Amino acid sequence: MSLTITKPNTSVRFTSRALKFCGAFIVFVFVAAAATRADARSLVKGAQNYKPFAVEHIGKALAGAKELQAAAKAGNVKAAQAAWIKSRKGWEAIEPITGEFFEKLDEAIDAWPDAKQGYHAVEAALFAGKLDEIGAPVEGLVKNLAEFEKQLKAPSFNFSAQGLLNGVTGLAYEIGENKSKGGESPYAHTSHIDMQENVEGIEAVYKLVFEGALKKKDAKLAESIHEKIEDVEKLVQVKNVKQIDQPALNKAGEELAVLLQSAAPKLGLKKPKLGD
Amino acid sequence: MRQPTYQPLRLTAVAACVAGLLMVGLAAASARPITTAEGVLPPGTELYEEQLDQPTELFSFEAAGGKRSYLFNLGDMLFSSPAIFGGVARKAGISCNTCHQQGSGNARLYVPGLSIRPGTFDTTGALFNPNTDNGVFDAVRVPSLRGAKYLAPYTHDGHFPTLRGFIRNAIVNEFAGAEPSPQVLDALEAYVREIAFLPNPKLSPGGRLSAQASEPARRGQMLFVKPFRRAAAMSCASCHRPDGAFVDHQVHDVGSGGWFKTPTLLNANFNAPYFHDGRFDSYGQVVGYFDRHFDLGLSKDEQADLVAYLDAVGDAAEPIRRNTVQAELDEIAAFASVLDTAIAERNKLVIALTVDSVGNEWREPSENFPSHSDTSVSGGLAERRRARGAVSEMVLTLRRIAMAAADDDFDGAARAYADYRREVAVAAANMKVAERWSLFNPAVRKAHFAALQRLADLAK
Repeated sequence: MSLTITKPNTSVRFTSRALKFCGAFIVFVFVAAAATRADARSLVKGAQNYKPFAVEHIGKALAGAKELQAAAKAGNVKAAQAAWIKSRKGWEAIEPITGEFFEKLDEAIDAWPDAKQGYHAVEAALFAGKLDEIGAPVEGLVKNLAEFEKQLKAPSFNFSAQGLLNGVTGLAYEIGENKSKGGESPYAHTSHIDMQENVEGIEAVYKLVFEGALKKKDAKLAESIHEKIEDVEKLVQVKNVKQIDQPALNKAGEELAVLLQSAAPKLGLKKPKLGD
Repeated sequence: MRQPTYQPLRLTAVAACVAGLLMVGLAAASARPITTAEGVLPPGTELYEEQLDQPTELFSFEAAGGKRSYLFNLGDMLFSSPAIFGGVARKAGISCNTCHQQGSGNARLYVPGLSIRPGTFDTTGALFNPNTDNGVFDAVRVPSLRGAKYLAPYTHDGHFPTLRGFIRNAIVNEFAGAEPSPQVLDALEAYVREIAFLPNPKLSPGGRLSAQASEPARRGQMLFVKPFRRAAAMSCASCHRPDGAFVDHQVHDVGSGGWFKTPTLLNANFNAPYFHDGRFDSYGQVVGYFDRHFDLGLSKDEQADLVAYLDAVGDAAEPIRRNTVQAELDEIAAFASVLDTAIAERNKLVIALTVDSVGNEWREPSENFPSHSDTSVSGGLAERRRARGAVSEMVLTLRRIAMAAADDDFDGAARAYADYRREVAVAAANMKVAERWSLFNPAVRKAHFAALQRLADLAK
């Protein structure tokens, strides 16, 4: 059987073999499209699964900030410091999403080094025992964390898989930055805890959103990412920043970011953009 | 290399004239600590690395119209690589270049417990290598390496006759690094040998003052070669030989507490503090010391003339250059070029060292483009973000090279390197666009560091 299609100045002859090929191609495209839709659904579902994790941790951050406020008003420095650390842990665990999805609030909550607002303005004075200087920044912190929680909890808010991959890749890169001068929270001496929470946050995003879909596409790469996260996790299990093997952490963080980048096309996503 | 010879004290004029020098703003010997108790280094440490104005770097081959070789570039890269050190130095990101900035010294370097004062450092202390701690707090001045190939022997007491021995000692004994390979030593030696003195228009060939020198300096030149009144066979020039880089390759006892080698006077205006232990800040103090110690009988005017002479001899046409995005890019390009050969030779060790070192070099300027969290900086956020993003991509592309090489996939490493070379142009363009909102801009830099200082003040 043959079929000839004639167009102005064009004549294409399809043989039965060509038609078979064409049919197979159409089936392939259909299947691929269906698979892509399935992948997309899987990622959407994963992003939905991640939201409770984020809500839980912003809740911890806000609760800690409120405890901090109460302790400061009561003049209890030790309790205020403990509450700051508790709040900070909740915040650091969701750092993959803070700057990527809530830039303005992130700027207000985690500003550095400007000592006017946010965690670090409170940290510098609080861990020097200056409770009388943290009233306004703590009030601002509580207010901004509450607003963060409100926006995050809104039913209309959904994470995009691309944004989550951007955030988690950026944080994997950032975790390798030089901590030899004390890291992110040098006055509270808790930079190592920041990093531990960061890794927990990376792991949560990866496991809840991407790992399942990636395993179906490239099980070896999925396992490599899993192992690399574990490597980074081991490197930050220290008692203080001084104990960190900075060159090893730098290398492992970069390798994790590279692996996450290489996962993007397999997940039907764009290469993660790095920036902040 | 010449072996050091030992002479008894006598009125070693030498030192007298010499020693010291002064320097630029060293008076402000106040270090500005940037570390906290959380850091790897002691609180109060000032490495003075992140400066916009950098010592000028000049290489001998440039003056001869030559070009960079693979070995030189490898040495240049290693000179800035903490990976050749061990222990605390490696963790703290300290490299040869930390102390010998652009091949010169570091007058502001200060490490509590290891520095007597800014610009000095105890190379045999316990912090960086407990195994070579001599139990004595004996900090010495951080020397400039300009003209090093003419200045044997090495270290203040002249212990090492060769540059190679001096370099190996710094890596293994001072900073607890692993025994360096012959290739690493070859490269570092090749690099250091090329670090040249900066041109000085006040000086003519043979070490004589040129027409550009002042009248007091000319009078000082006469005093410099004038025999000492208590030792007619000696003058300042006996040891600081004008026709020999102002050194005699020997050690002397000039009453400063031991036997120390004659330091060069060339470019010495930028080598303060002076004497082996950095005890003097100025040429005036140095000349005064020798006048008293050797009973030279110099009048105040004569001392001032000698100071003018030292100042003329120790000068340079352009001692400082402003750091810019382009300067950073040029340095990174030179370092990264090592990969041309290393990947072709499948040299996994050099590939890994280069990726680590060049990656660090990219991360440094990246930190000069403040993120959205740095509210002390306004404007150009989109441009800063693009610059940071582009730089991060460079770091990750480099890492791909190392990962491929580690897996013996050298074709993959070559492909990643081709990507890297292609992406450099994009990163460079983004960095230049964002430069005005970066810490390369003095005003932005001032605002950023003022914010850091406010935070530190708040924490007091």
